[in-house]
Amino acid sequence: MLLVPCPHCGPRNSADMSYQGEASSRPDPSSTTPSQWRDYLYMEHNPAGWLKENWYCSSGCRRFFTVERHTVTSEFREPPLPGSKTALPLSKTTETGADTDQQGGES
Amino acid sequence: MHTSIPRGCVSVAEPEFRSSITTLAAAPLGAPALTDESSLTKVSVRAQVGASPLGVDFTRATRRDGVLIVGIRPDEWLLLGNANEVETLLATTEFDASVSRIDITHSRLCLRLTGVRSASALEKVCSLDFDDMMFPDGATGSASVAKVSSDLIRDDVNDEPSYLLLADRSFGQYLYDAIHDATAEFANISS
Repeated sequence: MLLVPCPHCGPRNSADMSYQGEASSRPDPSSTTPSQWRDYLYMEHNPAGWLKENWYCSSGCRRFFTVERHTVTSEFREPPLPGSKTALPLSKTTETGADTDQQGGES
Repeated sequence: MHTSIPRGCVSVAEPEFRSSITTLAAAPLGAPALTDESSLTKVSVRAQVGASPLGVDFTRATRRDGVLIVGIRPDEWLLLGNANEVETLLATTEFDASVSRIDITHSRLCLRLTGVRSASALEKVCSLDFDDMMFPDGATGSASVAKVSSDLIRDDVNDEPSYLLLADRSFGQYLYDAIHDATAEFANISS
């Protein structure tokens, strides 16, 4: 079971959530090339490390939120604030049974 | 709810409330009691996130003038009670122009599960932690109950644990049967 830290409801079973994919910034449609637009729509980075993701709390507060998840350990942390390069302290919620000492580098 | 009809509008009769739960089953002896309270008047109050038009925080429920006020989402509150009390509360509360009030009595079902083992029965069909420390009297939460998105409110009756469960009315009979089935194993267990 994956415990996803909803900012409103607290840690919840991922079955109560809806995964909305990797969080990336939308390019400007007026200046982007078709190749860049295709990459934004269909290509995901899929790193073995920290990944910024969007989730929807479909059975709880019914709000979208963004978290960072380590794709190897499924550990969660809050994403860095805009303008900051450092992530916020690690969340206490991790995947049940995951080895929290196993942490990868920044992606 | 009775609302005044603006001049020039066609008047329609107040529709008779019909619960979506048509077949009630007798609770096994000693098992938590499951009752249908769908006929309670339910009014949804919505405001901007951070506003508190009724003075009740998100995830908390409190009773005022006979009406249960539930902070059901960060920007939504639910009023539960009989029609007259809810109408009186709405009439005596000052709301900002951006706050909406919608009667959702006919769109939501309401079940009440009461009994000392009701938390154990709910934990069979819901992933929330219903321990007294995590979900005390007056706590609320939303989660999947038997795969149905539901709102849960702890509203103890005579010092006995009691939970109100609200969901879309189309799931009525299914949800009633699923919870009734979950309570069956607690028959004749007193503590």
